[in-house]
Amino acid sequence: MDFGTIFTRERLQAAAVAATLALASPAVAQDYPSADETLDWTIAFGPGGGNDIMARNIIDILTKYDLYPGDIQAENRAGGSGAVGWGYLYTQSGDPYGISTTSGSFVTTPLQADTPWQPEDFTPVALLTTDDLVLVVNRDSEIQNIEQFIEHAKANPMNIGGTGTVNVDFIVPTLFAQKAGFEFDYVSFNSMSEQTTALLSNALDAMVGNPGEILGLIESGDLRPLVFSGQSVPDALAGVPTMGELGYDIGVSMPRGLILPPDAPAEAQEWWIETMKKVVETPEWGEYIRSNTLTPTVIYGDEFGAFLSRTKNGFGEVLRSVGAIQ
Amino acid sequence: MRIAFFLVVLTGAIFYSYVAFADLGFLSRTGRLGPGFFPRIIGVAAIVMTLWALVDELRARRGPGGAFEQWRDVAVLIAFALGYAVLLRLFGGFVATFLFLLLTLSVLNPGRRLTNGLVAVIVPGVVYLLFDQLLNANMPPALIDLPI
Amino acid sequence: MDVFSDLMMGFSVAISPINLLYLLIGAMVGMVVGVIPGFGPSAGLAILLPVTFGMDPTGAIMMLAAIYYGAMYGGTITSILLNTPGESATVASTFDGFPLARNGRAGPALVMQAAASFVGGTVGVILITILAPMFAQVSRSFGPPEYFLLAVMGMLTLIVMIGSHWKLGVISALIGFALGTVGVDLETGQGRYTFGSAELIGGVYFIPVAIGLFGLGELFFAFYTGLHRTGTGGIVQYDRQSRFWPTAEDWLSTRMTMVRGSILGFVVGVIPGAGATIASLMAYSTERSISRNGHNFGNGEMAGLVAPETANNAASSGAMIPLLTLGIPGSASTAVLLAAFLLWGLRPGPLFMETNPELAWGLIASMYLGNMALLAISIFAIPLFVQIIKVPYRILGPTVVVICAIGTFSVHASFIELYLMFAAGVIGFFMRLYGFSPAALVLALVLGPLAEEALRQTLTISRGSFMIFVDRAPSLWIIGVTVTLVLLLPLLNRFGSRNAASAESAGG
Repeated sequence: MDFGTIFTRERLQAAAVAATLALASPAVAQDYPSADETLDWTIAFGPGGGNDIMARNIIDILTKYDLYPGDIQAENRAGGSGAVGWGYLYTQSGDPYGISTTSGSFVTTPLQADTPWQPEDFTPVALLTTDDLVLVVNRDSEIQNIEQFIEHAKANPMNIGGTGTVNVDFIVPTLFAQKAGFEFDYVSFNSMSEQTTALLSNALDAMVGNPGEILGLIESGDLRPLVFSGQSVPDALAGVPTMGELGYDIGVSMPRGLILPPDAPAEAQEWWIETMKKVVETPEWGEYIRSNTLTPTVIYGDEFGAFLSRTKNGFGEVLRSVGAIQ
Repeated sequence: MRIAFFLVVLTGAIFYSYVAFADLGFLSRTGRLGPGFFPRIIGVAAIVMTLWALVDELRARRGPGGAFEQWRDVAVLIAFALGYAVLLRLFGGFVATFLFLLLTLSVLNPGRRLTNGLVAVIVPGVVYLLFDQLLNANMPPALIDLPI
Repeated sequence: MDVFSDLMMGFSVAISPINLLYLLIGAMVGMVVGVIPGFGPSAGLAILLPVTFGMDPTGAIMMLAAIYYGAMYGGTITSILLNTPGESATVASTFDGFPLARNGRAGPALVMQAAASFVGGTVGVILITILAPMFAQVSRSFGPPEYFLLAVMGMLTLIVMIGSHWKLGVISALIGFALGTVGVDLETGQGRYTFGSAELIGGVYFIPVAIGLFGLGELFFAFYTGLHRTGTGGIVQYDRQSRFWPTAEDWLSTRMTMVRGSILGFVVGVIPGAGATIASLMAYSTERSISRNGHNFGNGEMAGLVAPETANNAASSGAMIPLLTLGIPGSASTAVLLAAFLLWGLRPGPLFMETNPELAWGLIASMYLGNMALLAISIFAIPLFVQIIKVPYRILGPTVVVICAIGTFSVHASFIELYLMFAAGVIGFFMRLYGFSPAALVLALVLGPLAEEALRQTLTISRGSFMIFVDRAPSLWIIGVTVTLVLLLPLLNRFGSRNAASAESAGG
């Protein structure tokens, strides 16, 4: 597998840029996007996850309202807590036809792994929403509410599953545990479905997840929600307390937005900002926010870039304080 | 040749193990199995198994395998296939495929110029129609555009 | 919803014109791939996976599944007419298939193999229909400890069944494991063997490796063995008028063979690590010891053809069960099929049939239809496939190189992956040449990371104690089954491989 070194990233990038320029540069200047170009939509996580659901919702809206003239090819490039997918987008530098959605790992992965890219490298389009995590246990569990959970966890340490290492999935329960005064073992999984299977099989004591991904199992009674990390509880989780209400406010949530490859043409960035302004006005988007229990928080362009930078520094402090990263 | 292949595998296994022992921790910060746990086991097992198989091999000492006849065509095909990989980068999917087929067939299927020429034109054409037009997938783009 | 209404819903999905078209294309392509010597389901799936890229997932998965089980039908045609198995799972079909053809019974042999394949395939799908929902229910009690044990079971079975070249099989699997560790470590986020390259963060890409090993590697090996030079001189001619159809005796004498072959094949197929090749060899030897005409096996006995044919098709169906309900591939070809699911954003597992009922049941329903279509195709289109056998291999060879290359590139438009595919092709050739097992490598590449992650999750959950494996009832069951298999399979295998020294690559 020596080819990675024979063709260094730089050369590949240069070649990709050269090829893109040769093929597409006049088209970009005049009319972006061109109907002949296929939009290469990277989803940096596996299927069924929050990132995947959001990307596919946006794509459905773009298609339904004919907002994007060409074909859109969405692909799950999962792995390395998002390092793979966004690493791929990074190699598309300068290409106006690469695009991706972000989530918490977009900020945390470069903090803990030696990724070649940083969140600031990409061309920011918009922050669209934040979503928060819910702590759940299996229906068979003797734990009925969060007070019992904390009491139980203080007596004998429990394990909590989440997706990815050193991720918001890890930060949220870690901060909560610090404030509530218990300890736990974090178990890292590759995907939401593996982690849900582990909890359903009683291998895990508890797990955190985006409500949108496990709402079905919560509604069917298979999983029992205990506490929510957001500021206000969504309708679907009525009756579940927030961490703030318990007096353990952690103030961390997962930023979900849209980015283009590094150094994408300004026309492309402008076009996507204008387009996303239309997307967030559609009833479908409202329905997506509602059904996935998200908090709409919309900021555009460079303001989103600044937000990413701030969040990254904030997360870095948290992770360093718990000793997860150096 | 056979021994050489075993030695290549052995070298790979030694390098793999070296990285596993030098760069990857056996246990993680929290005292659980670390990133180097499996690689070390795999690396050591690969070295042991390869050495074992190599010893078997040396003991068996079979004669030189495969006649020249047998090797000629496969060597041609492999060499041309690797050349094709380079051509694809330079000239893109359509031209490279045409050149590859024409050259390979002229060696493997000599004398039948008409058939070879037809295959060399029709196959890239069909592949182009299938991938580029019908399936809307990517054909390798050309780095150098030929004036055709 | 009960099974019947689920299945009816599946049929309503499968029967839509476009899906039916995909299904038929898949069945035809599968047969063609099977007919080409050296190319079996894993090669066919790997090479054609990129072609299905622009399609809707349901149609694409149906088509790929049809290629997968269709290859089992096609593979036998050359076993009978040429004494050259299309792939390892039809090696056992040459033992009596070719003698039958030489005795002037090529027509009946071809029809009987199609019928046997149909019976095996259909019994297999019926068993999937009944058992898959039950398996899915049981697998809901599976967590990381069980997943680790299942992956271990798969690898152990594979290695035990490799037989004579077991050391080389183990080395092949270790190479697969080693490649599987490349990339960012799930638990610590540390890069392993990435050497600073962004291309390696996500690990070694599976699809180019599979296309290279199975597509190019097998092609190069076929050139080495001289398939392109021998041409088609050896085709047995057969009479399509008078003695084409099997006699009543052929049907009557093999009816129990079909039943036994189907059930044995299915059970072997369900076991992770065993596959169609092993199933066909085991069915052949079992039948030889049971049959009254056992002594005549090898001289053109119809039961000797029917047994491996029902078994290898039933095994292909059986292998779908762990794939759909656990997300664990049991063979190299189902590993490629799993890659296809993942490419479409579908993750098979205990919740898969519940969350994607239309796709899951549509797929199962399509397998009933696919087997019927294949039965018709393989009886009435035999002359067509004989023509395909006659296409000179030296022209087919370079064309396959082209399809592998363009196909690989079309997946991610990556030249790195293209070069990886060519490298895997050359390595695959030398592996085949020197008796290694590319199938074991590919299966290990999928099962290795699964086992590692599951073990590390398990030990975090149990706080470092291995007792968790005996404390949990499902784990204990899996350990029991694994021990039984490891003790039992070598016996059956020794029994089976007396005649089958030529079937080297396990895993189907």
